[in-house]
Amino acid sequence: MAGSDDRDRLREEFLAEAQEIIESLSRDLLMLDQAQKGDGPIDPDLINEVFRGVHTLKGIAGMFGYHQLGAVAHALEDLLDDVRLGRVQISAEVLDVLFEGVENFGRMLSEDTGSEGDGVNLGQYAVSIDRVAAQSDHAPDPLDSFELDPAVLSVLTEYEEHRLRTNIEQGVHLFRLKVHFSLASIDSALEELKNRAKPLAEIITYLPSMDGSDGDSIDLEVLLASGATLEALAEALGQDSRQLTLVPRSGATPAPPPRQASPTTRPPAMPARDTHAPPAAPPRASADVSLEQRSLRSVANTVRVDIRKLDHLMNLVGELAIIRSAVGRVTDRLRGHPALRKLGLELHRVNRGFERRLEELQDGILDVRMVPLGQLFDKLARIVRQVAREHEKDVHLVVTGAETELDKLIVEELSDPLMHIIRNAIDHGIESPKVREIAGKSSTGTLALNAYQKGNHVLIEIEDDGQGMNEQLLLETAVRKGLLTKDSSTELSREEILNLIFTPGFSTRSQITDTSGRGVGMDVVKTNISRLGGIIDAQSELGTGTKFTITLPVTLAIISALLMRIGGRHYALPITSVQEAISLDPLTLRTVEGREVITLRGSTLPVCRLADLFRLQRTEPAPEKQFVVVSAVGQRRVGFVVDDLDGQQDIVIKPLGPSLQNVRGFAGATDLGDQRVALVLDAPGLLEETLVGLDRTTSLGARA
Amino acid sequence: MSNELIARNSGTPDPVSLVPDRLTTREFLAFTMANESYGLPLSAVREILRPLPVTEVPRADANVLGIISVRGRITTVIDLRKRLNLPAQPVDKLSRFLLVDSGSEVLGLLVDQVLQVHRFNDDEIEVAAVVGGDLSEYVLGVGRPRAPKSSSREKESAISDQDDILILLDPGPLLKK
Repeated sequence: MAGSDDRDRLREEFLAEAQEIIESLSRDLLMLDQAQKGDGPIDPDLINEVFRGVHTLKGIAGMFGYHQLGAVAHALEDLLDDVRLGRVQISAEVLDVLFEGVENFGRMLSEDTGSEGDGVNLGQYAVSIDRVAAQSDHAPDPLDSFELDPAVLSVLTEYEEHRLRTNIEQGVHLFRLKVHFSLASIDSALEELKNRAKPLAEIITYLPSMDGSDGDSIDLEVLLASGATLEALAEALGQDSRQLTLVPRSGATPAPPPRQASPTTRPPAMPARDTHAPPAAPPRASADVSLEQRSLRSVANTVRVDIRKLDHLMNLVGELAIIRSAVGRVTDRLRGHPALRKLGLELHRVNRGFERRLEELQDGILDVRMVPLGQLFDKLARIVRQVAREHEKDVHLVVTGAETELDKLIVEELSDPLMHIIRNAIDHGIESPKVREIAGKSSTGTLALNAYQKGNHVLIEIEDDGQGMNEQLLLETAVRKGLLTKDSSTELSREEILNLIFTPGFSTRSQITDTSGRGVGMDVVKTNISRLGGIIDAQSELGTGTKFTITLPVTLAIISALLMRIGGRHYALPITSVQEAISLDPLTLRTVEGREVITLRGSTLPVCRLADLFRLQRTEPAPEKQFVVVSAVGQRRVGFVVDDLDGQQDIVIKPLGPSLQNVRGFAGATDLGDQRVALVLDAPGLLEETLVGLDRTTSLGARA
Repeated sequence: MSNELIARNSGTPDPVSLVPDRLTTREFLAFTMANESYGLPLSAVREILRPLPVTEVPRADANVLGIISVRGRITTVIDLRKRLNLPAQPVDKLSRFLLVDSGSEVLGLLVDQVLQVHRFNDDEIEVAAVVGGDLSEYVLGVGRPRAPKSSSREKESAISDQDDILILLDPGPLLKK
C-alpha cells in the first residue's frame, strides 16, 4: 500500500532528523557543561542553539504525532527560554536536567513504535524540570520589578539598558522627568540638565514624547537613576517636582509584559510562546521562517541515505566483479585461439579499464559508508559525565582521533560495548577523589579515548588512570565461581589472568551497582566485538590504571580474502587475519598435551586441521602436500591446515540465514561467481575455539 | 485466512476470492517425497528452482543440506526428506528446490518432484488428527484432490492416475529451528 509506505518513509525521515538534532544538542550541552565548569563566560549563542534545537524537535514531533516527545520538548523549551533570558542560571543541576532530556529523547525514539515512552519515567522527569525551573522565582529579571513603560524599554540602546540594569542592581530609585525645551536652545538646556543631575543622579536616557510638541519646542521624557529622594533630586535639578516622578516598583508578582522588551540584548526573533497551546503544535510558519531557512541551508549539501541502500549498491558491485572475472575468462580463451588473439587482446584492454572503474566505484561506495567516530564519542562523553556524577567521581575525558573513520554499521554496533567499558572504568577503575588524593594522585581521574587507523584496522583504546586490576582478586574470583581450578590458576600468565574478565559469568564486585557489576558485562562486550571481526585485549597495572584495546576491521562490506580448499570444498579467510601461508612440513609436527604444534622460526605454533574440526567427509584421501595458513588475531596465533591455496580475491561477505546463526566458525558466505558459494571463516572464533583449554594450561596461544 | 487470500489476489480479480466465507478455498502446491504426495500453501512458496550446486555447512543441523546463492542472497537449503525422517535419495533431474517463507526467513526445501497446484475448500481438508505420529505438529490436514481436470500436465504425471491423498504441511512449525 502506497499510503503506509509513505508514512513509513516520513517516519524514517522524522527519526533521522530527530536523531541528528539530538546529536547536536548533546554536543552543545557538552560545550555548555565545559563552560559552566570552567567559570568562563557562557556563550549565549550556545544556549540559543540548544533552545532552537529543542524547539525544532518539538515542532517535528508534533507533526509526526509523537506527542509525548513533543510535550517533553515543550517543557524543556520553557526551561531553556528562562535560561537564555537569564531568569534561570545555568548550573550543574540545570545541565543534569538538560542531559537527562537528551537521554529521554533518545530513549523515546528508540522505543518508537506505538508504545512511545513506556520505559521512560516522564512523570518524574517533569518534576525535575519543574524543580530547576522553579529557581527562576529566586532570580527574577530586575527590570520586571519596576513599572517601566514597555515602549521606553523597547527603544533603549544596549548600553543604556546595561546602565539601567547596573543602577538597579545597586538598589537606587528610578525617576521619570518631563521637561519642555525650546528647539532653539535644546543643546545648552540638555547640557545644563546633565550637569545639574550629575552629583546625584545618572541620566539613563531621554526620549522625545509625542504629546505637547509643536513646531518650536519639544517635550522630553528623561529617565534618571538616583539614590537620592524625590525632593532632593527635584531641588538639585531646579525643576518643578510635579514634573519629576518616582517610577514605582511593581508588586510581589513579577510583571510579565516587559519581558519581550529590548531586542538589542536578546536573541533575535524567537516564536512567541503560548503555554496554553497544545504541546505538540507544529512550529508556526511566520515566526519560524528564519529558523527553517537556517536549518535547510545547513544540510543542503548532505544527503541522508538508508544504509541498506548502500548495501544493495555494494552487492551490485560484487556481482559486477563476478561478471568481470567471467569476462576475463572468456578473454583468456579468445587469446589462446590463434585466429582470435587480436580480438582477445582488445577485449582484455577494455576489461582492464572496466576493472579500474569498478575499483573506483567500490572505493567510492565504501567511502560513503564511512563515518567519523566523533559522533559515537560525543555520545560516550555524555555517559562519562552522567556516570561520573552518579558515582561522585571527578573524571576528565580526553578524546583523540575522533576524526578516524569506520564503517557505519561497525560504529553502530560499537556503541554498547564501548559504553560498557567506560561505565566499568568509572565505576570500578577510577577511585573516588579522596582515595586518589591519599594514593598521591590528582583528585580528578583521567579517561582517555583514543582512536587511530593502523593498516586495514582501526584501533580504539580506552585507558583510565584508576586503581588497575588486581590479579590475585581476579584469580580468587575465577576459582570461587568455578571458572578455573585452583591448580590451573597457578599456571596462568599475567595476560591470561587479565583475560579472565571476558569469561561468561565473571564479575569481581559482589555489590551490584546501578551501572555495572551484573557480571554479564565483559563477555558480552567480547562477543559483540568478535562479531564485528574484531578483538579486545586488556592491559592493567595495579594502582596505575587499565587499558583496553579494541582492534577492528575498517569495513565489513568488502574485504580481501585468501581462497583455499579443504576436502574439495572452497573456503575464504579474510586476509586481515592471515599472516603467512607455508607448506606443511610433517617433520616439524609435534604433539604437546595431545595437540599438534609446529615450530615456526623458533616459536611454537598450535595447528588446527580444519578438515577434522569440520568433520569433512573426504571423497579422496588428503593430499600429501598440505599448507599451513598462519592466522593471527591480536596477540594470538594458530596455523590452519588446508589442502590447497587458490589465491586472493575481493569478496562481499553475506550473512548466513537465521537458521544457521548457531553454527560456529563462519563469519558468513560469499558468492564466487559461476554459482559457487564459499563459506567465510570466522578467524577470531576459530582461534578462540582452537586455543580454548590451551590458554588455561600453557601460554602456547600467546606470542611470547 | 480468507483475508490473506483476497489481499493476495486483489491485483487480478480471481473468482475464487468471491466465494462466500464459509466456502474459503485454499491453494496448495503438491509435490512428492518418497512416493507420497505432500502440499504446501501456495502463499508461502516464493519460487521453484532447479537444483543448484549446494555448499555444505560443517557442523550445521543434520537437516541442513547447505547454502546456495539466490540472486546474491545466501539461502539455507533444508533436505525435506531428512526433516520428515524419510530415506535419503540423491538429487536427480526431477528434484527441485522450493523457496518457502517460513515466517522468519526464506528457506530452500529439497523435494523429489513438483506436481501441480490443488484447490481445496476448507471443508475438504480433513484435520490433522487423522495423521498420527511425529508428523502431526506440522501437518495442517489431509486433502483429497477432486477428479482431475484434463490438464495436459496431469496426464503425464503418473501420480494423478491414482486416487491420491495429499498431506498438507504447515510451513511455520515445519521450518522452525
